[in-house]
Amino acid sequence: MSATAVLQAPLRRKSRLGGRVRIAAGLVACLIFLFPVFWMVLSSFKDQRDIFTVPPTLFFTPTLETYFGFMQRADITRRLINTIIVATGSGLLSIAAGAMAGYALARIRLKGAGTIGVLILLSRGVPPIALAVPMFLVARSLGVTDKHITLILAYCTFLIPYVMWLMRGFFLALPRELEESAMIDGCSRFGAFFKIILPISLPGLLSTLIFSMILAWEELLFALVLTNRYASTIPVAIAGIAGDTVNGANWGALTAVGTITVVPVVIFALLVQKWLIQGLADGATKG
Amino acid sequence: MSTVGIRDVRKSYGQVEVLHGVSIDIGDGEFVALVGPSGCGKSTLLRMVAGLEEISGGEIAIGARVVNDIVPKDRDIAMVFQNYALYPHMNVRDNMGFALRQRRTPRAEIAQRVNEAARILGLEHLLERKPRQLSGGQRQRVAMGRAIVRNPNVFLFDEPLSNLDAKLRVQMRSELKELHQRLGVTTIYVTHDQIEAMTLADRVVVMNGGVIEQMGPPLELYDRPESLFVAAFIGSPPMNFLEGTPDDAGRLIVDDRLAMALPVKLAGSGRVTIGFRPEHIHLGEAGWPATVSVVEPTGSETQITARMDDHVVRVLVRGRTEARPGDTIHLSVKPADLHVFDGATGRRSEVAHA
Repeated sequence: MSATAVLQAPLRRKSRLGGRVRIAAGLVACLIFLFPVFWMVLSSFKDQRDIFTVPPTLFFTPTLETYFGFMQRADITRRLINTIIVATGSGLLSIAAGAMAGYALARIRLKGAGTIGVLILLSRGVPPIALAVPMFLVARSLGVTDKHITLILAYCTFLIPYVMWLMRGFFLALPRELEESAMIDGCSRFGAFFKIILPISLPGLLSTLIFSMILAWEELLFALVLTNRYASTIPVAIAGIAGDTVNGANWGALTAVGTITVVPVVIFALLVQKWLIQGLADGATKG
Repeated sequence: MSTVGIRDVRKSYGQVEVLHGVSIDIGDGEFVALVGPSGCGKSTLLRMVAGLEEISGGEIAIGARVVNDIVPKDRDIAMVFQNYALYPHMNVRDNMGFALRQRRTPRAEIAQRVNEAARILGLEHLLERKPRQLSGGQRQRVAMGRAIVRNPNVFLFDEPLSNLDAKLRVQMRSELKELHQRLGVTTIYVTHDQIEAMTLADRVVVMNGGVIEQMGPPLELYDRPESLFVAAFIGSPPMNFLEGTPDDAGRLIVDDRLAMALPVKLAGSGRVTIGFRPEHIHLGEAGWPATVSVVEPTGSETQITARMDDHVVRVLVRGRTEARPGDTIHLSVKPADLHVFDGATGRRSEVAHA
């Protein structure tokens, strides 16, 4: 007994040390990532004059002045609504098209399927700025600049490949026999997809949907190029406030709008985490 | 219930042909086991009957209807997969009723048929559970139940017992046999386990390299294997083989060193392989001398591993034995129990019993 205890003690100490190192590393990483966000949220509740004081004021009477000031501006509310419309629209459209494409890539034996997949993925390798200008020209010729649908379609160009590859992975992880069994039980391939595969993939679908909505929510470049007044989104507004050359950057407004933009993203991310932790296809097979 | 006709069926993936013309006629209510090593094409053939793989050549008929171009759902078959493939988001009741709901069977009838199948399989108390709340054996039963409620023309089984532990496998095996005797549905059963094939099937089809080596009732395969492959595949522990050349004195010369007196006369003088099963060897005063290397008692029988020159011979004796490692024993085989295979082709040679 004593011999094993002696043997195990250093081992245990070593693994505990390893755990501490990992926790410390995690804390440092969190600090690096979260500090700017923390600073932004903090600044948004300060008076304009407190933002740049040195040393910074950590204790102050929080004010909602900047929030009220900016939420009353009609263009900010409109842009928030625009962002919601565009993020939801492009998220739903890309999940519908991308999930089916991902399923096809994962399951259907087709000559050149691999090439098609790689080509679609390659389209993500093109720098967005190279696409933005041609897209603007096309939109202008069609007379659809500054419309929600234009931005939604533009976002689909990068969201669909993203959804497709994520969902392909989810589908590959499901046993093929599930659909085969459904097809023997009386489903067509489409039926098997909708009745068996989709319900099982719901956690994956929802998290992918939310990830895509976050990407669309934060997108700046296409929104800047393709929209003007009517359909422009929040990131464009932030860029506008930061780059206001006439009145100078209004940092209070910037942090307030930034905070409003980030809050839904954080909520979404927490939701995704909850879904991702759930098992995908528990119990389908031998287990 | 229905017959199944498999006629000169071929399967190719691109340029590679994996099934080279297989024909099997399966009678109404017959239980046929397809057995062979992995890659022999048995699962592919089963999947072609199910409609999950396209048929590259030949035709498959279920009943009088050729099903080559008929989708799986219209073939009126039920299949049990090796990994069960239960629908994880449905409880046991819905899993078993799914196929009936697809066919728009009235609710009351679905309930009645699911309950009946659950009763047969002893699943009544599990009907509201999700698959993840079941043990491996219970999942296997649900997979079976899903097939039973369909009341299909043909049952297809793809290694349904491989994922169970040894004890449960033996238990499920007899339940499966009982189930077939009760329902009498035509069944095609794929396995790599020759014991499963032998114990369950009315007829065993041994496949190797995309062709049928031999098919017939289990004991016929055991008693009269038509090729070296079947002889080696069927039976456990496996048959002993020795390769050599017969001489004029009725002996088999193995490696120019070992001269074994044969109980049969061999025609011709080409190389042959003789085979004899461990349980057909008699120990006595006379016979081929061999040196015992390992003795493994199991109680009801004892397996002896012995050496004749460099060649390992396994002997299975009923009950206990006095033999110890290092002892010399004498082995003999009755003429009827000696199998002779052509050295070149591996096919069975007929011999005149001396």
